[in-house]
Amino acid sequence: MYHALGILALAAPLFSQPLGDIPPGKTFLIVQSHHDDHTWQWGFSGFAARLVDAGWRGYFVRTTNDEKDGGAGWGKNDQTNLRESREAIRALGLTDVISLNWRNDHMESVPVKEVRAQFILLLRKLRPDVVMTWDPWGHYDRNPDHRMVSRAMGEALWLAGQWNVHPEHRDLGLVPFRPGRVYYTFRSDYGKGHGYNVAIEFNDAQMRRKADAYWAHKNVFNTPDEAKRIREALAVRNLAIPELAGLSDEQAIERIRRWEIEFASRETARNLGVSFAEKFWMVNEFDGLPGLKDYLQKKAVKR
Amino acid sequence: MKIFLLFATVCLWNQSVLVVTADASDYVLCAGGTLAKLASGGAQITLVRVTNDDKDSVNLLPEETANRVRQESEAAAKELGIAKVIHLGYRAGELGGVSPTELRDRIMFYVRLTKPDVMFIPNPYAEYVEVLDRHYTGMAAEEARRTATMPNHQPAHAIAGLSPHIVKELYYYSAPVDPRRREPEGPAQFVPQPVVRDIAGTFTRKLRAAQALTTINQAMAAAIHRRLEDTGRRLPLFDRGLTESAVAKLVEENVRGLAALCAKDTQFRQAEEFHHAGPDYQVPLRYSGAAKR
Repeated sequence: MYHALGILALAAPLFSQPLGDIPPGKTFLIVQSHHDDHTWQWGFSGFAARLVDAGWRGYFVRTTNDEKDGGAGWGKNDQTNLRESREAIRALGLTDVISLNWRNDHMESVPVKEVRAQFILLLRKLRPDVVMTWDPWGHYDRNPDHRMVSRAMGEALWLAGQWNVHPEHRDLGLVPFRPGRVYYTFRSDYGKGHGYNVAIEFNDAQMRRKADAYWAHKNVFNTPDEAKRIREALAVRNLAIPELAGLSDEQAIERIRRWEIEFASRETARNLGVSFAEKFWMVNEFDGLPGLKDYLQKKAVKR
Repeated sequence: MKIFLLFATVCLWNQSVLVVTADASDYVLCAGGTLAKLASGGAQITLVRVTNDDKDSVNLLPEETANRVRQESEAAAKELGIAKVIHLGYRAGELGGVSPTELRDRIMFYVRLTKPDVMFIPNPYAEYVEVLDRHYTGMAAEEARRTATMPNHQPAHAIAGLSPHIVKELYYYSAPVDPRRREPEGPAQFVPQPVVRDIAGTFTRKLRAAQALTTINQAMAAAIHRRLEDTGRRLPLFDRGLTESAVAKLVEENVRGLAALCAKDTQFRQAEEFHHAGPDYQVPLRYSGAAKR
């Protein structure tokens, strides 16, 4: 018993992160592989909605064309998923979806430099104060598009600030740029590679917009058969969900999807004393200079 | 005791060390103090610098940057007592597009040529090291150490008089940014272990070596200055511009900060952190000292 309590006490700090603040700035950029990556349980939608409410401008980069995601065939999936991605960012209040249209699930065969070049251009043009993307140090992700975007973005964040990288950008009046903060996410159930050092709280209204954004991706999430299977499986055990009574399978799946994403946000917030949260690994402006970080924090003053 | 010290000195005197670095500054900042100590003891150190650092400057063309950093890199190596610097000349920031086997084999060539007792390589497993050239170099160097032992790798080497070689000890170095860097990941038999080395005696030489990299240091100072300016802040150190003395002071703060960070929670004042594959590494327990202990 005491051993168990001891383990729980030791484990507690590992599972609790400090609640993060809204950093200074006005522009954020979410760079991910697929149309729905920012809205699912390992996404950034709650944080994005909160930044928008605080007056920020946000952009979402869909790196692939999502042609494999959905049951409509390649071309139709691409178009539908892009349209729904735009609906999702409208729900959140973001400004635009930038679709780079690389071929879905084929990104491992693309040279990292080609993808990275596009990211560097976007970083220098949009000059985001905050970037949200896949964690390049995550382990065991089987998705080739996640792996490539994380690596290409990792390189872009490092190189966009260097003068001699893509000097042709100077002809557009673009200068080297490094974002102040990067928030990384990854599947938290995939190995030990990705951890968290910050949690971002968001409110009920922002949660509703997050659920709206999630549900906007109907091409992949509107699966009435799934609602039917769930209800049948429960009925076998003489169980039913009262809230779903009287709803069609089409209506039930929407309710289930909204619960799904709300449940994940509540679970993340558990032990933090807030209703809804998302968790990330945050890299601050001078974290890449560990020898100077404290010095700069102490010595830098307002102009 | 005196005989033991004499024996240890003689051993160190004959030691050959091969350092592999992705860029001019990484090995200096992460392992410079330890290398200077080895050099003081008489070790013959060879440095393989993989990229030409051509991106890391302000208002200089890539070619000019590469030329300057090459000279500064040799000056830095000299401060540390490194006997020879080999520049492989890959373009900086582009190792992600280089064949890992090609890079491995070029490093393996120098393993067989210099026959080191000890290698120092970038730790490719260190997380949140943003300069990914260091990851690619670390992967290639780690593999080179292994393949250098096998005659069937690059059999043409044998014709040229390069025989297979076993490197007895391996140090992985990296900037102390990985939050889990001090956690052992497994037993020493299979996984290199975190170690901390005292550098108080060679700190000044490490600092001078770091300060010799003026082009890179200027770029670092300019990036910090730009970031602070963009966010309405300033560093009083730069109030008279990014002068040579201001940048040298910034580098000193960096090297001191790194040494203090690595010494944290140890008995040392100034230190460097590594992962170390020692004599027990990959030796079956029944043959190793660990079993006898």
